[in-house]
Amino acid sequence: MIRQPVQLRTRIVISALSILAMFVAYEAIAMRQSRINPKQTVVPGITSIWDGIQKMTTPNSRGETWLVEDVKATYGRLLLGLGLGIGLSIVIGVAMGAYPWVEAFFVPAVSFFAKIPPTAMLAVYFVLFGTKTEMFVAMVGLSVFFTLAQSIYQVAKKDVTDHSVFKAYSLGATSLEVIYEVLWKQILPRVIESIRLQIGPAMVFLIAAEYVVGDVGIGYRIRIQSRILNMNVVYIYLVMLGGSGLLMDWSLTQLRRKLCPWFGE
Amino acid sequence: MTYALEIKNVSHWFGTNKVLNNLNLQIAHGQIVAVVGPSGCGKSTLLRAIFGTHPPKAGQILADNEPVTKPCRSVGIVYQHYTLYDFLTAQENVAFGLKLDQTNLLFRLLQFPKWRELQRQHLSQATDFLNRVGLSHAVNNYPHEMSGGMCQRVAIAQAMIMKPKILLLDEPFGALDESTRTDLQLLLLRFYQENLEAKRAGQIAPYTILIVTHELNEALYVSDRVIGLSQYHADGTNGATIVYDRPSPIFHPDDPRDFDIFLKQREELRKVVFDSESKKRHEEFVTFWNEHADLLASTTTKA
Repeated sequence: MIRQPVQLRTRIVISALSILAMFVAYEAIAMRQSRINPKQTVVPGITSIWDGIQKMTTPNSRGETWLVEDVKATYGRLLLGLGLGIGLSIVIGVAMGAYPWVEAFFVPAVSFFAKIPPTAMLAVYFVLFGTKTEMFVAMVGLSVFFTLAQSIYQVAKKDVTDHSVFKAYSLGATSLEVIYEVLWKQILPRVIESIRLQIGPAMVFLIAAEYVVGDVGIGYRIRIQSRILNMNVVYIYLVMLGGSGLLMDWSLTQLRRKLCPWFGE
Repeated sequence: MTYALEIKNVSHWFGTNKVLNNLNLQIAHGQIVAVVGPSGCGKSTLLRAIFGTHPPKAGQILADNEPVTKPCRSVGIVYQHYTLYDFLTAQENVAFGLKLDQTNLLFRLLQFPKWRELQRQHLSQATDFLNRVGLSHAVNNYPHEMSGGMCQRVAIAQAMIMKPKILLLDEPFGALDESTRTDLQLLLLRFYQENLEAKRAGQIAPYTILIVTHELNEALYVSDRVIGLSQYHADGTNGATIVYDRPSPIFHPDDPRDFDIFLKQREELRKVVFDSESKKRHEEFVTFWNEHADLLASTTTKA
């Protein structure tokens, strides 16, 4: 029957089998390719992957490894951009949800810019911020800001009814308390969800920008290494991106469960 | 002279459509007043005006002699659909008003230990109040974990713990099943008994309630005074006004629920307020203060 529930243990076994199947399939393809061409690097086998790891972790002339340099650059840009974008979008989004005159002021700009793909804005960011860290941070921050501010403002309007606001006033709240104690606490789980959904696109834009103009970072390394078909390095970076994405996703879900136990799953 | 609520010459209109026409009403401390009227007669507009979210276009509303122009501490409300805060448990919902009223954000942030101590007291008061409304078993439940009746009890406790000068109940039992509805009606009767006890002890009655309801039996059963709002006038006046204002029989929570006791008054109310053909002179049925000169005298003395 459709949607027949499965036991937790069965679910874990099926998931483990799926991961195992991926590894087995990959290794089988790698072995087949190596039989056809022993020097191929497009689908590297386990030993070749190990070579890639060593390449990434061997210090270069500056005394730093690719891995440390790239992780520092990419995740530094990502966290800084996300921090700025999230902070600004919470302030503006909540203010838009609380005060109709702020809403009237920001809605045209926020709605318009949220519709422009951030990668299409790359050229503008190059011109405005150059090609250094500021450009990557601004691109991540602004791409997150417009979409997240719009989503926070809509949630604040929809999930917080006039009745709950009026009632808070009748219980003695000031406007600031209504915003913090009622509006913010009501929308917090949805804000965390929106942030979680924004991390993926932010990562896409950042890697794309690094791919085009970066001189360090994961996107840059993928471009350079794929050109010389060092796929053993490229695949490790991809696994790292997937793993970090999952980790951030899981962390935010845990944070939401911890801060908003009333919200359910 | 201090009334819990005083409405002076209130009129309200939307464009050319006059909804309320020159309403005058005084409610003494400790009364439970039921407002009934046909659909579209302006009951909700009146309630919103008293609550302060939609002040009247003409006239004045005073709660304990203070003008009401926006939602404030003097006027509490319980909505038909509860409007509890989803992120707070039943106990926290009831204590929420105490927190907002007695502390501010800075105090809670900068004087955290003192706030924790005060919070413990608030939660304990909230638990006591939840016991009184029969929810001692659900103090830690979130709204989504409770039934409609339980949520409405929490909403009533949340509003009553604040002891507003007047509490507005906007069709509070409209969405509930018959048994829960009966329980909550009895709860109001118990609050009324507390008012009587306070009066006997020479204190100001703690609970003054204005309840808007569609149910005539409910209106006559839970209140000590019934007000009929109607747009059907003998003189053809535009907009609704008070066409009925009389005392209703007072029930003790332990009395049998015998609605036949007020059968005659219910028919009278139906004719005067709801029957568009039966246009009579309002003065005949607006007699509460004539019949309760003693209450007027005590209100005057209190002031």
